[in-house]
Amino acid sequence: MSGSKSDILWSPHHPDRYVICDSELGLYRIGPAGCAELKAGTVPLSGETAATLLAINSDTPYMKCVAWYPKQEPECLLAVGQANGRVVLTSLGQSHNSACKELVGKEFVPKHARQCNTLAWNPVDSNLLAAGLDKHRADFSVLIWDISSKFSPEASVSAEKIRLSSSDLDPSLVVTKPLYDLGQNDACLSLCWLLRDPKLLLAGMHRNLAVFDLRNTSQKTFVNTKAIQGVTVDPHFPDRVASFFEGQVAIWDLRKFEKPVLTLTEQPKPLTKVAWCPTRTGLLATLTRDSNIIRLYDMQHTPTPIGDETEPTIIERSVQPCDGLIGTFAWHPSRQNRMVVVSATNRAMTDFTVFERISLAWSATTSLMWACGRHLYECAEDGPEGAQGLLEQDIATKMRQRAQSRYGHDTVQVWRNHLLAGGNDSQLKSLWFDLFYMKQCAEDAELKLQGNKQAIVYSGIKNIVKTSSGTTESRKCWSGSERQTEATRFHSEERGLALRLCGWMGRASDVDVEPFLRSLEQEREWERAAAVALFNLDIRRAIQILNRGAMAEKGDLNLNVVAMALSGYTDEKASLWREMCSSLRLQLNNPYLCVMFAFLTSEPGAYDGVLYESSVAVRDRVAFASMFLNDAQLPRYVDKLTNEMKEAGNLEGILLTGLTKDGVDLMESYVDRTGDVQTASFCMLKGSPGEVLKDPRVQCWIENYRNLLDAWRFWHKRAEFDIHRGKLDPTSKPLAQVFVSCNFCGKSISYSCAAMPHQGRGFSQYGVSGSPTKSKVTSCPGCRKPLPRCALCLMNMGTPVSSCAGTGKSDDKVDLTRENKLAQFNNWFTWCHNCRHGGHAGHMLSWFRDHTECPVSACTCRCMQLDTTGNLEPLDSS
Amino acid sequence: MGYLRPKNRRNSGFRPLRLNHKLAVALPGAECGLHFCPPAELPESEHISVAEATWLALNVVSGGGNASNSQPIGVTKIAKSVIAPLADHNISVFMLSTYQTDFILVRERDLPMVMHTLSSEFTLLRVVNGETVAAHHLGVTNGFVKPKLAPRPIIHPLSSPSNMFCVTSLDPDTLPSVATLLMDVMFYSGGSKESGAGGEDTSHIRFFSFSLIEGYISLVMDEQTTQRFPNNVLFTSASGELWKMVRIGGQPLGFDECGIVAQISEPLATADIPAYYISTFKFDHALVPEENIQSVIGALRSESNLA
Repeated sequence: MSGSKSDILWSPHHPDRYVICDSELGLYRIGPAGCAELKAGTVPLSGETAATLLAINSDTPYMKCVAWYPKQEPECLLAVGQANGRVVLTSLGQSHNSACKELVGKEFVPKHARQCNTLAWNPVDSNLLAAGLDKHRADFSVLIWDISSKFSPEASVSAEKIRLSSSDLDPSLVVTKPLYDLGQNDACLSLCWLLRDPKLLLAGMHRNLAVFDLRNTSQKTFVNTKAIQGVTVDPHFPDRVASFFEGQVAIWDLRKFEKPVLTLTEQPKPLTKVAWCPTRTGLLATLTRDSNIIRLYDMQHTPTPIGDETEPTIIERSVQPCDGLIGTFAWHPSRQNRMVVVSATNRAMTDFTVFERISLAWSATTSLMWACGRHLYECAEDGPEGAQGLLEQDIATKMRQRAQSRYGHDTVQVWRNHLLAGGNDSQLKSLWFDLFYMKQCAEDAELKLQGNKQAIVYSGIKNIVKTSSGTTESRKCWSGSERQTEATRFHSEERGLALRLCGWMGRASDVDVEPFLRSLEQEREWERAAAVALFNLDIRRAIQILNRGAMAEKGDLNLNVVAMALSGYTDEKASLWREMCSSLRLQLNNPYLCVMFAFLTSEPGAYDGVLYESSVAVRDRVAFASMFLNDAQLPRYVDKLTNEMKEAGNLEGILLTGLTKDGVDLMESYVDRTGDVQTASFCMLKGSPGEVLKDPRVQCWIENYRNLLDAWRFWHKRAEFDIHRGKLDPTSKPLAQVFVSCNFCGKSISYSCAAMPHQGRGFSQYGVSGSPTKSKVTSCPGCRKPLPRCALCLMNMGTPVSSCAGTGKSDDKVDLTRENKLAQFNNWFTWCHNCRHGGHAGHMLSWFRDHTECPVSACTCRCMQLDTTGNLEPLDSS
Repeated sequence: MGYLRPKNRRNSGFRPLRLNHKLAVALPGAECGLHFCPPAELPESEHISVAEATWLALNVVSGGGNASNSQPIGVTKIAKSVIAPLADHNISVFMLSTYQTDFILVRERDLPMVMHTLSSEFTLLRVVNGETVAAHHLGVTNGFVKPKLAPRPIIHPLSSPSNMFCVTSLDPDTLPSVATLLMDVMFYSGGSKESGAGGEDTSHIRFFSFSLIEGYISLVMDEQTTQRFPNNVLFTSASGELWKMVRIGGQPLGFDECGIVAQISEPLATADIPAYYISTFKFDHALVPEENIQSVIGALRSESNLA
């Protein structure tokens, strides 16, 4: 052998042995690296495995190809094809008294010498060894030798006029008469026995692939092709064969042998080896010359593609088992996805396991599944009792629960939606209160009188404060005292509106904060109430509130201490009180208590201690800012806060952004963070249909939410959502897409009605909706021809379904409203898209409850089974 | 060594890079292909004499569809199906038998005629990038001369040298190890000095042919030359057959005369004697099995006596 080409053969029966053949044959045993005490000839293959050289055989020069005897006994018998066409049997690491003694050294000599290209043992009749040779004029190129045949010198010497060369040592070991000779006047480049019948041999000939049948050697089936090298049968699919030519692999199906069923993408360099994985179906590995990667092709058996959902037929990927160029490789015969690779340059071997392709699927609910090798993994969320408190529930679970509790559908008391969502998400609470206050302001009759303000209500405080004008300043006294405060309070119409949106003020005329304080007290938010009272310069009220908080059930007695500290307030700059408060306040746990002292101890106009206390709700900080920041500071602060909120995707920021493009940006980062398209959809539907809803992101959230509902089989919820959406965004109402057209005139029967307004008929008059007692129309309004008949009741369509139609079962006694709704649906036209038979929807539904075939006699259409979703039940209740 | 130049020139026609221009003609029933390949352009040189016209090679390929016991080798097999019809249509051919197969070279300008001639008996197929597709007729079929179906006597003088020849091959991988030997045999062993020394045996001929076609090497040399090669390098048949040569032509045959191959091959085919046939720049050579040489000479003599 020239040394340029090497090959690896795995032992067919010892999963830990393989032979590397280049200029000589080397038998290796593979074992764990740890226990292999560094014996001579042990080379590491990978982190875990090492190979031990067991034997070397250099008896056979000019090796061109090698094949390992497939049977267990005699083991380690190899056939070597030589450059002059001779096939020699040899063995490795066997004692000489072993079973193969009489076979070793046997030579099979073709009539005319030429290179032996390939060898293949018959896997069943293992005495048969096929050899593929180069072309020699009219001689045969496929010779099948019987290794058990005895040479009979007397019989053939005279006939064949043998002149054996001097190198033939023992003439008794030389066989010159093959059992079969095939492929006259042709060259054979590759061979393999077919698995479906051991008498069939597939050969890659000069320009064709040929299947020879040993039962009738004068016949062969063949196909002209260039791809004739390396023919190999898929061990998992006996009709599938791969062969290659230069850089292209062709996959053949022997049942349809005219042309390749597949050709793989051509590689720029010629291929050197193509091998099916023996342990995984449809996995083909290919190697090109001078390459450091092995390309793998996963061939999926996809009988009929369904829609766009099918996986591609072939998935190509490549692996890099070692650093250098790869000389050759061989799959392990039994260990999954394992192979040994020999590098091209230094003959270094690598033991390598191809990592399994992972395919992953998300369920529309919370579970996740992936497949790897022969394992299927499912990852499901723990039940509510399992990991409650430890981990947040998955957003899909949350959205599902919220959809079932009609989250988002309370359009009057908008803030209640956060309770429907579970009531434990502060951001959602803030969001829905924001939307509630916006709605309140927008509907406020008094505001309406003050000009076109309701549009600006939804545009957020950021925009409101920008338009602020006519700001007045005032310095108030602390209520209940004559002392002037240092803090300057600013007033304007817009600031008032902002306070209302923040929820601090009630109606426009009502500037009193008292109702808000009372509601906070009711909700036992003592600290917050105290802070709001303080910011409204009512220190006495604040102390009062804290007192009340301490007295209340389970109240915090520390609030009394805070109240005492508060009561010692002095505006004297150098006082001990001031000094202690400004330093000790930072140790207070409650942010509201903290900001109270920050407010009291800060210089006028410099309220950073309050404004940048991130634990304080945005609405309170904004309300505070709109009271105490001047016209220059306020927009700057609001802008800064807005950007912060947008970046964080914090829904509290909706107060600032409103339902504008800014708001969509904010919502986008919220959805990116949480995946909560449900909240995003409901929230954005409240915005003005003109701009916000046109945003493709918003449309995307809405569509995704609808798809999600469909995937959960929450069809009623989805319908409800569509109705809700249609009310808020009339442009989203879909146009009628399905029409019933007359068989005779082809006009839509409902369209015809619309075209004749004087008749004033709607679709309802065909009994499709409305009361069944209304006028019955059983003919086409266009041509007056009768409508088709229902296949079950044989009445013309348009005739309402009688009340006892279909089943008269007594268990149908469901609530009446539901029955009424169904009764309308029962009159609908319905038909099978396949056989075109149909009738009243109600009749059809009850028919297919018990039958699979079409109700029309002699029609064998299995209409209902064609409808993939027809047998699914909705998971939600209407 | 006079035959070396034309041989090299013609080998250029088999360059694989012209594979896509190949045509194939297939026999009905048995797979038989005649491959055409136009030669690459040669540089003009005063040191090289080039025969007029470009030649296309037809390669006869057949699969072993019918396993017959008699295996005619070489020109014998195609004598009646290909060579004789071409001779009948006055098409000059140039034969080149190798270890692996036979090539028939025809002039490019004769191609329409060749196709016309062979299409009556063969299904014409064109080989494009290795894939075989049906070939269309080239040119018109009108105006072709009616074939003259006259008997073909042997015109040229024949001679049969005494030495015996081997048709053999070797593994291209071993080529480097015998390269110097090959150069010695081809260029340095048969000079004019030695011709005088060998003159005592006038019937001895020096003949050495080396061809490398599509990666396959073919060698024709006499038995003495084979002794110079190391053991196990040359491919020898199990039967170790040897061949005797029949040289055709007393003076250079030229390129226009047609029917020479047919004159020789038809009697051999009739007698079912396998033969190789190698045309060179000056003469034609037929190789026949040594044991058949007497019957061959007899048969050919009777043909020339007819003339």
